[in-house]
Amino acid sequence: MAASLLIEDLDAGYGAVRALDGVSLSVAAGETVALLGTNGNGKTTLMRCILGLLRPARGRILATIEGRQVELVGRSPEEIVDLGIALVPEGRRLFPRLSVEENLLLGAYRRTARAAIRRNLDFCYDAFPRLKERRAQPVGSMSGGEQQMVALGRAVMCAPKILLVDEPSVGLAPILVARTIEKIGELKEKLGLTVLMAEQNFHQAIRIADRGYVLVHGQVAFQGDSPAALGDSELVRKFYLGL
Amino acid sequence: MDPGLALLLNGVVSGLLLGGLYAAAAAGLSVSFGMLDVVNIAHPAFMVLGALLVALLWSATGLDPLLLSLLLAPAFWALGAAIYVAYHHFFERRGDEAIQGLAFFFGVMFLIEVGLVLAVGPEQHFADAAYAGTTWRLGEIDLPLRMLVPAAVALAAIGALALFLRRTFTGRAIAAVAQDREALRLLAIDPVRIKRLAFGISIAMAALAGGALVVVQPVDAWSGHVFIGRVFAIVIMGGLASLGGCVLAALAFGVVENVTATFYGPSWSPAVAFGCLLLVLAIRPQGLFGRAA
Repeated sequence: MAASLLIEDLDAGYGAVRALDGVSLSVAAGETVALLGTNGNGKTTLMRCILGLLRPARGRILATIEGRQVELVGRSPEEIVDLGIALVPEGRRLFPRLSVEENLLLGAYRRTARAAIRRNLDFCYDAFPRLKERRAQPVGSMSGGEQQMVALGRAVMCAPKILLVDEPSVGLAPILVARTIEKIGELKEKLGLTVLMAEQNFHQAIRIADRGYVLVHGQVAFQGDSPAALGDSELVRKFYLGL
Repeated sequence: MDPGLALLLNGVVSGLLLGGLYAAAAAGLSVSFGMLDVVNIAHPAFMVLGALLVALLWSATGLDPLLLSLLLAPAFWALGAAIYVAYHHFFERRGDEAIQGLAFFFGVMFLIEVGLVLAVGPEQHFADAAYAGTTWRLGEIDLPLRMLVPAAVALAAIGALALFLRRTFTGRAIAAVAQDREALRLLAIDPVRIKRLAFGISIAMAALAGGALVVVQPVDAWSGHVFIGRVFAIVIMGGLASLGGCVLAALAFGVVENVTATFYGPSWSPAVAFGCLLLVLAIRPQGLFGRAA
């Protein structure tokens, strides 16, 4: 059963710096929603709040998973991941000295994921044949594109219902960006995920997004109900695409 | 056999056996220092604590010292977990662990040593295993069971630990925790719980090493001092987080020390052994078996 996410009036910051200012957004069951905006506008902060890594000053974050609605604010990251929410973090955050397979297996630590470990590992190797070839190689010695595959695979091993992806294109060559975005779309279809993806690369993000929000200075500056609406927006064209 | 060759062979074999004892002493540190980034300078003191407790229990019960150390291991695990909780609360949580954490473990070391002197006195204690007087002979080569049995038990324990680290979810999390602790939280793993558990394991290994030590030689409260430099050298030479590398480095260290002592006298052996450490680090900074990140 698909899951959804609802964020209401969220404020968050670091010390005196306010990074999010009254952000409200929603991701319906089975949707892929893009979170657009250039660096420093609060995308990563929002991801950190959803996962419990940063406690918001105000607002609510509600996840509905398997018919049960849960308030995420105040819970630890461990609890939130255990509910079925996985994050592919910016910069990938892999364990460089462990092998591909050890990294993937660590993804399946939570109890629900352990039950499906064989199937999910096969799924990962099926989706990323390169990882199967290199399963014994330390991740630190792999290319950026391959590491991004491991990061996606590790999140799949968590057996999530909601997948958060933070800046998947950072540090990748353009051709790999396109491929990574396609893979996210493919994983979403095959696993029936609900996806929230923060991305600076507008053109790539809207290839798989159903809708999107543009964050500017910690506020939702524009909300586009289709990729076309986003592309046509005056704001996006002017500030974001520099047209 | 040529007497020189026999001397060399015996030097190598007894060096390997000494290396087995070093491996026992260093394996726990390979977990705490190598995998958890906790510079536990008191590790040899925990080994000595284990050794003296084994000696006391042995004189009370007459049970085999290695068996006694195995029975002590769960209590040492709990002790290690408790010490990690204190260390985390006062230092690591605040990011003060580099220097202040080191001072903390220095303090723990002195507390253990002074406590031992007050409790059991400054004299040497020993525990005799049933096999301690037996020596197997393979041609010209002596295999004293007093050395062989502790080495074999230590290697078996290290093998079991290596399997645990490789094959279980918790083991893999231990191997990962020093590399990126926040990333573990993204996988629903509590890094503090993992480090507590792993530090407990490292101290339980110190209890086993204590059992091995007291079978090999009489032990007093300060017997750990000669091990401090050696175990850190071995863990670094082995590539920090690699138990297999730690064992091979320990064996190499034992052989180099023993062969040097046999041919040039014992006063040269630490100099040559630590010279080898510097050489290894010059050629392979990641250690013999370290994976370059």
